[in-house]
Amino acid sequence: MNPSAPQLTGSIRATEILNQLAEELAFVVPEQDTGLLPVNRFIMDLEELATQESPMEVSSGLQVARNWLDHILDGTGKFTTEAIHHFNEWHTWMSQALTSWDKKTPMPSWPEKWSKPTPSSTLQPKSNTSFASLSTGDEKSIILNLKDDAELLREFHGESLELLQNIEQGLIVLESNPSDAGTINSIFRAFHTFKGGAGFLHLGAMQDLAHDLESLLDAARRTELKITSGVIDLILSGADALTSFTRQIGSQIQGAGAGQPIIVPTRDLIQRLKATLRGETPNPSASPSPSHTAQTIKHAPIIIEDMAMEVMPSAKTIAAPFKQASSLPSPAAIPTNPAETSGGFVKLDTWKLDTLVDLVGELVIAQSMVVQNPEVQSLTSRKLARSLRQLSRTTAELQRNAMSLRMVPIRAAFQKMSRLVRDLAAKQQKEVQLILEGEETDLDRNIVEKLSDPLVHMIRNSVDHGLETAADRLAAGKPSLGTVRLTASHQRGGICIRIQDDGRGLNPERILAKARERGLIGPDEKRTESEIFNIIFMPGFSTAEKVTDVSGRGVGMDVVRRNIENLRGKIEIQSILGQGTTFTIILPLTLAIIDGLMVGIGEERYIIPTLSVRESFRPRPGMVTTIQERGEVVSVRGHQTPVLRMGPYLGRPMRAKKPEDGILVVVESGEACRALLVDELIGKQEVVIKSLGQTFQNQHLLAGAAVLGDGSVGLIFDVDTLVKFSDKGSLATSKPSSVSV
Amino acid sequence: MNTVPLSRTQSSSASKYVTFTLGQESYGLPVLHVREIIRICPITPVPNMPPHVRGVINLRGTVIAVLDLRAKFSMAPVPPGERACIIVLQLGVASTRPTLIGIIVDAVEEVVQLGNSEIEPCPDFGGSTASQYILGVATVRGGVKTLLEIEKIFAEEGAISWQLLERLPPVQETHRN
Repeated sequence: MNPSAPQLTGSIRATEILNQLAEELAFVVPEQDTGLLPVNRFIMDLEELATQESPMEVSSGLQVARNWLDHILDGTGKFTTEAIHHFNEWHTWMSQALTSWDKKTPMPSWPEKWSKPTPSSTLQPKSNTSFASLSTGDEKSIILNLKDDAELLREFHGESLELLQNIEQGLIVLESNPSDAGTINSIFRAFHTFKGGAGFLHLGAMQDLAHDLESLLDAARRTELKITSGVIDLILSGADALTSFTRQIGSQIQGAGAGQPIIVPTRDLIQRLKATLRGETPNPSASPSPSHTAQTIKHAPIIIEDMAMEVMPSAKTIAAPFKQASSLPSPAAIPTNPAETSGGFVKLDTWKLDTLVDLVGELVIAQSMVVQNPEVQSLTSRKLARSLRQLSRTTAELQRNAMSLRMVPIRAAFQKMSRLVRDLAAKQQKEVQLILEGEETDLDRNIVEKLSDPLVHMIRNSVDHGLETAADRLAAGKPSLGTVRLTASHQRGGICIRIQDDGRGLNPERILAKARERGLIGPDEKRTESEIFNIIFMPGFSTAEKVTDVSGRGVGMDVVRRNIENLRGKIEIQSILGQGTTFTIILPLTLAIIDGLMVGIGEERYIIPTLSVRESFRPRPGMVTTIQERGEVVSVRGHQTPVLRMGPYLGRPMRAKKPEDGILVVVESGEACRALLVDELIGKQEVVIKSLGQTFQNQHLLAGAAVLGDGSVGLIFDVDTLVKFSDKGSLATSKPSSVSV
Repeated sequence: MNTVPLSRTQSSSASKYVTFTLGQESYGLPVLHVREIIRICPITPVPNMPPHVRGVINLRGTVIAVLDLRAKFSMAPVPPGERACIIVLQLGVASTRPTLIGIIVDAVEEVVQLGNSEIEPCPDFGGSTASQYILGVATVRGGVKTLLEIEKIFAEEGAISWQLLERLPPVQETHRN
């Protein structure tokens, strides 16, 4: 948060979060827990913002939502239709309130039916249902889905160990300074993040425990609970239980005892946590009733003690009551060597990475300026030459490494989708298979991260709206198993992500009718088919008949488009009624590197992506022939390939007046080829693609620009455009330049 | 075009402007938008762009577009003189990554402080001049400075980020065409 303008950033940040919240609310389903945790997280984020100088109304409004949410969280853990309705109303009110805050206009009136903001009035029902069910049942066990969730579990495992370590360190601080708000907050957030991850992976027992620990810290955060050494001990034993869970997940990932249920006692801990929350004094050794203790011992494995040895001094006090249990056999495999589980990863701030990459870029430029300096080149010292070569090699290697730091395979984003499809299909009783292709496609990790949200929306959309039920599919003569295909590939100098379903397709007439009904377009306006499809990206448009559908409240697709556009990408729709819909997302390679062939045209240098270059040669006189005295062709390996003189095509001067004075570079895009006539080949170079910025967003001829060795800028051709639109007329008509905006 | 939106400057009583010349004329830009001023350097031309888009330059690792204000205002082209500069402007919201864009000017003059009372609305030329880009006119030591509204100039280039466009609803409409 920027301290210089807390209020401004406060309201803007809050509005952002509220928008994200709206997305989540849109997908909430009655009697399901879908979206509960994200909603909780966003409200928590809002609460954090609201502690700074926000108007009273905003804080009170948040309190209302918090009470409802707590009610759900402590109760059934599922949304009711009524609750969803409340939340939607609340969202509308809150956005008005935030606008008023931003613009300093009067706040919207407080809705009558909401309770007046008294902190504890509705907070009361720490409903006993979960408590009761817990005290009767046996300890919950967790069975991991190692096959489908391996990647996610590995991620969760690594992240969680780190979080738990932070928690332990935080608790040490708290022990000496129990009122340190910053530390309480950070521990709270760590538990919260943990809970989110556990919830996502359906690790029920862990999630429950983390939830109660979080509530405890939340109470401490609101100064409703005093942090005593008893409380710290309690939190520590909770953290230890979570750590032992996590360790076991780690050992199962590595193959030890895979598939076995993991049992760690949480029931007793949860009861003590709830008791503490109710204001009873926690007493680690006395509070559990004798029967509980017995049960605890039955399950309490060596882990607890094992943990205590390496955790911290204060942990020993909790471990003490369990010491006697250490000789009992443990129900699940226990990691013997904790060092094995620590992954070889380092987390760092992205800006550090960015700075490093930028600096390396500058270094490479400086290096080549030294090497290419005429005075240096005139020196004949062999020793210097050798040193310079060594320098070049090292910088090149450094650059390659620095560049690759930011690139990650898209796999992580894709695998979350298989999870999503599985859940959605089960929920809607549809038969759906998800096919993933091109998971190894590398792209900027920033893009991968930001891609996850829009992908979730679109996959939900495809499964919900796109695919029919099995019965409908059979009736339409299709196999009952619906297919959603998610592919990623490098294309058109960018990254292309395709979401393809074989469902019912978009119905242009229905979309048009709906858009007219909503007043989004005038009654007499004519639209082409692709324009009609694009209507679904308009804010407030939705064709779903029922609002209670998984998607269908009109907050989905416009957000998707916004997200993609923020990544400077674009999204296209192809759809055939009855046969399916394909969404194509094209993202630029803002930070990707390409191998480029540098060519000279006139006085300027351009870069052609090497991937698209098939060959290059200097034509002999007579090799290039004309057809109808206009179109020039050259025979390349038996194929007549059209020649494109780059100078005239670009409207720039060119030295080669005859083909034999220049070089022909044969490029291909799909099946089609062109031979580009350029003045000279300068060399092959790996370059960082930099975006040309919004000024040139309609300049389809270029995929981007690169900073060259001497610090000047080289333009990178988009070969697909060159091949497809080499006729200038078609380029002008189909690709409007930016002046016409 | 007599009614000039002065809302952006009205909040503070005085604002600073960087003034520069194009031929014999003097112009001003809000200093808050000026990121830096660099000497003119080789510009890589971008094909198939309107004449006022001169090309791109490398500003310490960032590729930025360079526009020719003379061409934008349909003034006669002249080869860059000795004092020619590129003013690098920062568009968009500061909290997000701002869009940088360079404009070529004949010479940079000075930074002046102008109160609201010193800024007059642009005189009506009957539509013949590109007065939609003009925020107002100020007289400084007997010379006339035309103050430019840069958002309007660059909104046409698509050079303004979405965040900013959302606060300028009329522009957004023209942008989407």
